[in-house]
Amino acid sequence: MVQLNRQYGRETNATETLRIRVIGVGGAGSNILDRAMLDGIDHVELTTANTDVQSLTGAVASQKIQLGRSLTRGLGSGGDPELGLAAAEESSDEIQTAIAGCDIIFICAGLGGGTGSGAAPFIAKLAKEAGALVLVLVTMPFTFEGRRRCAQAAASLELVRQNADAVICFENDRMAEITLPRMGIHEAFAAADVTISHSIRAIASLLLQPGLIRLGFDDICAVLRDGDARALFGFGEADGENRAHDALVKALRNPLMNRGAMLANATSVIVQIRGGANVTLGEVGIVMEELNRHVNHQTQVMMGVAVNSGMGPRLSVSILSSLGDSSERPVKANAYSTALPEPERLELPPVLTIPEPVTSAQLDVERPADDAKLQLDSVPEERERRSSKRELDAGTKTPPKASPKTIEAKQEVLQFDAISRGRFEKSEPTIVDGQDLDVPTFLRRHVKMS
Amino acid sequence: MARDNIFAGIEIGTTKVCVVVAEARHDNTLKILGVGNAPSRGIRKGEIVDFETAKRCVHDAIVDAEERSDVEISEVYLGITGGHIRSFNNRGVVLLEEGREEIDEQDLEDVRTNAREVSLPMEDCVLHTIIQHYYVDGQDGVLNPLGLFGKKLEADFHIVFGIRTRIQNAIRCVKELELDTADVVINSFATAQAVLDKNHKQLGALVIDIGGGTTDFVVYVEGAVKQSGVIAVGGDHITNDLSIGLKIPSARAEKLKMEEGDVTLGNAFPGETIVLRDETGFAGREIERETLNQIIHCRIREIFDIVSRQVEGDQHLNYLGAGVFITGGSSQLRGIEHLASEVFAMPAQVTAPLPLAGVTSAFEHPQFSTAIGLVRYAHLVHLDRPMAGGILSRTMKRLSGIFRT
Repeated sequence: MVQLNRQYGRETNATETLRIRVIGVGGAGSNILDRAMLDGIDHVELTTANTDVQSLTGAVASQKIQLGRSLTRGLGSGGDPELGLAAAEESSDEIQTAIAGCDIIFICAGLGGGTGSGAAPFIAKLAKEAGALVLVLVTMPFTFEGRRRCAQAAASLELVRQNADAVICFENDRMAEITLPRMGIHEAFAAADVTISHSIRAIASLLLQPGLIRLGFDDICAVLRDGDARALFGFGEADGENRAHDALVKALRNPLMNRGAMLANATSVIVQIRGGANVTLGEVGIVMEELNRHVNHQTQVMMGVAVNSGMGPRLSVSILSSLGDSSERPVKANAYSTALPEPERLELPPVLTIPEPVTSAQLDVERPADDAKLQLDSVPEERERRSSKRELDAGTKTPPKASPKTIEAKQEVLQFDAISRGRFEKSEPTIVDGQDLDVPTFLRRHVKMS
Repeated sequence: MARDNIFAGIEIGTTKVCVVVAEARHDNTLKILGVGNAPSRGIRKGEIVDFETAKRCVHDAIVDAEERSDVEISEVYLGITGGHIRSFNNRGVVLLEEGREEIDEQDLEDVRTNAREVSLPMEDCVLHTIIQHYYVDGQDGVLNPLGLFGKKLEADFHIVFGIRTRIQNAIRCVKELELDTADVVINSFATAQAVLDKNHKQLGALVIDIGGGTTDFVVYVEGAVKQSGVIAVGGDHITNDLSIGLKIPSARAEKLKMEEGDVTLGNAFPGETIVLRDETGFAGREIERETLNQIIHCRIREIFDIVSRQVEGDQHLNYLGAGVFITGGSSQLRGIEHLASEVFAMPAQVTAPLPLAGVTSAFEHPQFSTAIGLVRYAHLVHLDRPMAGGILSRTMKRLSGIFRT
């Protein structure tokens, strides 16, 4: 992670044309910004917007906006999105000043609480009105945070999608895949922040870095817009003789990629290959060739190649894609999970935690920085948690939506997978166009038997 | 093999290992001397998964072939398949240096090398580089550019490659039985030699060989190989589907498939059932015929759909005058040709190897297409050999001879 600093460029020529601002909204949003700052992010202006003064003071962003100065008087929004929205509306002048003249605005927020859920859609709207291209990165709450928060998050996500050009949504439930269940809650949240700050930087550098084959914001929008706002992100870097292959494997091994199996569901995929002056056409060919094996034949693959002298002998691959709308293609829910290439994974109980060697290494690197940040984090998060408890007591207003559904689907499908490959259980899977052909065709296509 | 006019081909298949021994006669025809057979074990989806067991099966088949043909086999043409084998088309270009205008053998070799210079993943190696068309100074339709005048020689090639280590496994299996591998041939090319004649290749044809573990296909357009591929799905998958869908053991499913299997939907009377009998002959479960056919239909249609998608990518299907040729063990399913002609929208037929002298009717069966194709391939290589002088031109000639005709 720390080593990434070297490659996200020092070349300034592209920046002159584009002004990028990252706005962190609410407690989670400012945590993500802190993380991005600690990891190092270039050519990007950072702004924190929060109702909670205490959290705001601790934030490291260069520009800070206190939302609802008179409404909340420096306290948080107490998990109430309406209060968060009202606070943002009160400070709309300040927000408008901050976003004026920016070409691209990233908005980071954790949905489910008050400030993030309430203010983020409003800020997205302001940014859109200001004529900027708006890209929103949000986290969805853990299912265990309660139904109320999940419902608030889902409602807010819908609003954000209406106002933003593109939304990347990271489900915290999926974050559980990148940490161990025994790990502290702060570490889990920190791991989530790391993943998001990673993707901000990857996207920012995608836009800023001069590339031989350039990817623009329009490409990113094209990839992210028509999905159902669930994102896949993977990053890998390698050197040595077989670096193209290794980097792609690392990228696919990213917990959010589900080993590339879920790529079969993506409607379009952005892949950026970055390396020193010695990147060969052959290496680009290898990466694309191998990636194409993982994606559906209808998937649109957009490729970018950037040459950056700072990379030295290393080569990196970033993959960003959005999953197709599951409501439109119901069969796909089975298709991707049956496409899991590792039969040994079936023996695991259907729990989401898969300890990844790569990730544990990442966390080791991150830990010292976390400790320094812990003080800052604990206060707002503690408060949010308390408030969510209160909401639970008060009962639920809206029926639960997004997150619990996905968990159920996963478990069901894993069991289904275990019985359906029959004698090919232990053989190498035959995957064509993202379908596991070892599973009987009539099962995959849900053919009704007479 | 003492005499150089005797060839042996070996196909290490998922269902059976098959060795064919043939003799080239003076009038340039081929006579089959004997066919050896052994059921295979340790092979899945066309690839060796249990080396020692597979080796024993190969050994049995070779001994069988030697006994039947009364020939001691020393060198074989080895058929290769597996889901790792892939292919693409590429064009090579060579510019003749200043002051020289006649295209010579070295240029032909150079243009081939040039076309092969594509980067493959580290673990892969090229199996075949097959000439499709030559162009001299942009002029189309040059059959043999050797000796022609020109400044620029271009050539389209069909390049087949696979994972090196997996190919080596099969070669090693044969080598450990003290046999030399004369050449490695991908199964689909071998099969095409057995079921297609010159005319078919010229008209354009799609050969689909549905075996036990893999489906191999090849497309000929205007006498040249346009496309080829392997899908690691075959008859075993149908058996597995039946076993899962009808909840019966694999062995029973296999028997049911062979005896009752039909790919046609709506062919059974409503409520028509098949009674499964156990070993003692007592009637057991009843299975609806329509359900059985539906499971098989889904699988076969999917295989055809995949082939069709992979072939259609280059829009060759319109040019295939001779239609679709289905062969291999699984082509014995009833009604498969009708389904194929429906999916590919052109005439389709189930074919056995073209008649050869000495073949008993038992081997004029689709499941021997690949093995017999291997000796035909060997024979074609042999026919081209004496004409050539240097080793380079020999390679060129033999490959162009086979795949252009």
